Amino acid sequence: MSETNSKKEFAENLIAQDPPPADKQQRHKEALLKKIEHRMCLQKAVIIAIYTLLFLAAFGAFMLREHTDNVVHSICWGTVSLHILLWSLVYILRGICMEMEGLIEKRLGNDERRRHKAENLFITIVAIMAFVFSSFLLYRSFSLTNALKAVQTAVSILWATIFFLIFYPFRTATLIGMLWFEYKKMELNITKPEEQNSKRQA
Amino acid sequence: MEQDKLSNAILVLSCQKRDEPAFRELVNRWEPRLYYYLRRIVENENDVWDVLQETWLAVFQNIRKLQDPLKFPTWLYRISHNKAVNLLRKENRYAQITTEQIANHYENNTTISVVKEQAELVHKLLGKLKLAHREIITLYFIEGFSINEMAQIIGASEGTVKSRLYYAKHKLHEVLKGANHV
Repeated sequence: MSETNSKKEFAENLIAQDPPPADKQQRHKEALLKKIEHRMCLQKAVIIAIYTLLFLAAFGAFMLREHTDNVVHSICWGTVSLHILLWSLVYILRGICMEMEGLIEKRLGNDERRRHKAENLFITIVAIMAFVFSSFLLYRSFSLTNALKAVQTAVSILWATIFFLIFYPFRTATLIGMLWFEYKKMELNITKPEEQNSKRQA
Repeated sequence: MEQDKLSNAILVLSCQKRDEPAFRELVNRWEPRLYYYLRRIVENENDVWDVLQETWLAVFQNIRKLQDPLKFPTWLYRISHNKAVNLLRKENRYAQITTEQIANHYENNTTISVVKEQAELVHKLLGKLKLAHREIITLYFIEGFSINEMAQIIGASEGTVKSRLYYAKHKLHEVLKGANHV
């Protein structure tokens, strides 16, 4: 213990031999925090701009649906607007799920963590493939002449999106359950020695 | 010491949640030692401030990727090492030291017992060491990193770190012994 303390004292003394000048440190800190604030603002602005653009694109597609005489095109534009909105919602849900995943991963061992990462990567790849494939189907359905076929394609496209809209909240709920379980385990570990101590004292 | 580590980990977790006061506290806590370390590598004060700023910006940008908050010190020093080396490489000042000629000597049998009063002397001696040796011994003194951690920071093998540490310790030991005799 005393060795650790003396090492710490030595380190402190060594650092004190060449400390950062206070005025420069202050200036540096102010500049740094300003830059970080700017970055945070910029990040927020970019996210807001992306979502505004997505919403505008979806709304634009929705308006096009109203202004076309072709039934197939009308169905397709309606599907395009829902496609954009629902996939952006999937992306938000995925973000929430990943936040929870980050919390639970800190409690896991290396193997478990790797397994979780591989699982997430697989799900993300499937989601990207589903998005690309359904977008392609949607693009092709514009050239259809049969309205019934167009409706069938639209339903199958939206069904794939709905799958992820259900999947991610379920996964998030499972992760919350796991976190709660971990918390209870920690609580038990804390109360056990206390109980033992009180028993010994009795 | 353990308490320090825990409070650090809590600060890191808060920073991962984008808590600005926690980040400010983290900067306050680590800046003096990081400054000392970078001054031993970069030397020019203005460059040190630039590297420090780049380091903290990278920390802020990537702190969410840090899985284990207890490994923050190693991670922080690795970032600052990389930034400093990038700067030195731009100016062709970073010479890679090969370990071949000293690989047989890296048995870590030189122990230096330094007392806090010798800090001033050690500080002066650090300036006389080669850059790579100086870097390792600074990490050893100010953070007490293990061989493995130092290897992660400088991105070299454990053998390289051992040999550099051996030579730096050996040189310091000789001079300190001389100083004690006087």
